[in-house]
Amino acid sequence: MNTDTIRRACRRTGLFTTLMLATLTLVACASAPLPPTESLNGARDTIASAEQAEARRYAGAELEEANRQLAEADKAVADERMTDADRLAKQARVAAELAMARTEAAKAAAINRELERDAEALDEEMQRLGDQQ
Amino acid sequence: MNRKATAAVVLSSVLLTACAMSPTSPDGSEDVRTRLTTLQQNPEMKTHARTELRDAEAAVQLAEQPLADNEAALADYRVYMADRMVEIARAKGQTRLLESERERLGEQRDAARLAARTREADRAHAEAERARGSQADAAALSAREAEEMQRRIDDLEAEATERGLVLTLGDVLFATGSAQIQGGTNQNLEKLVTFLDQYPDRQVLIEGHTDNVGSAMFNETLSRQRAESVRRFLTDRRINSDRLTVSGFGFDRPIASNDSAMGRQQNRRVEVIIENRE
Repeated sequence: MNTDTIRRACRRTGLFTTLMLATLTLVACASAPLPPTESLNGARDTIASAEQAEARRYAGAELEEANRQLAEADKAVADERMTDADRLAKQARVAAELAMARTEAAKAAAINRELERDAEALDEEMQRLGDQQ
Repeated sequence: MNRKATAAVVLSSVLLTACAMSPTSPDGSEDVRTRLTTLQQNPEMKTHARTELRDAEAAVQLAEQPLADNEAALADYRVYMADRMVEIARAKGQTRLLESERERLGEQRDAARLAARTREADRAHAEAERARGSQADAAALSAREAEEMQRRIDDLEAEATERGLVLTLGDVLFATGSAQIQGGTNQNLEKLVTFLDQYPDRQVLIEGHTDNVGSAMFNETLSRQRAESVRRFLTDRRINSDRLTVSGFGFDRPIASNDSAMGRQQNRRVEVIIENRE
């Protein structure tokens, strides 16, 4: 009966130790966080896509902004401010997405202007043909 | 029991007050909300940027959540994200709107182009048709006319000469020594009337001739009177007398020898010359 009580106590102590260890590990992880690789890569990829889409020409300021945010994110990583780094990386990404969206809009507008000019030229041509008749 | 209820009401009131008095939405979120609302109220944007507007709405709602003073960085982050999401929605909506307009513009241009081409083709076709038609018409008309005229000339038994069509009315038309046309009607004369009706612009010379029996004076008078008889016949059939010129040549222009009865008969004649059109 007494032996039984001791064994139980030992088991409890083991469980307690395990829990303590786990908690310590988690605390260790929180105090030395990893850089937000995923966010940073996402930002870099999106900026690259925007550049590919000629964002420098059509949305230069927005692309500039994205690059600035990415630079800030890199600085935060160096300073081990990983939460800031993650946010800045996400800001860089969304800024690059905006640069891309505005680039697409500007390109679409240019194409439409071209089409309108074409149609007008054709209309004028028609008018001339009509007058000749 | 009653006390418990009172406590609950008081507690709820306190909680509600706490909510109302809680810190307001972070700076900048209000401006983002205003811009998002404008986009959401634009039907074009609602059509062309549905997903992006939904994402932006979620981002703005997050940015609007009040935060403690020590979470200013998080608040700034959320507002920054919401702001960009709203602008992305606007840009994408604009792009899609432009693209849908482009389809219309393209269709418009294609339609204009097609119309231009159709018109050109139609015109070219019509011109060709017209040219072909008028040529054919003219050719057909002149061919028909020539054919018709030839038929009438054949009918008239006239002879085509340099002076025109010469129709010789033999002396059987008149009794000996008389200028009267025998029998009232004469088939050759009727055909002549028809022909002159058909070609009203032709001038006509009516020339009387005789054989050499009798004096020149007598024969000249007789030849003229016979020519006059023909003219009267024609004017009676409503041929305009202005078109008709009458002469009597007596025996000055024989076409055969007066030595034989046959020759003399040939010489006794009235010639109707239908002049060629100039």
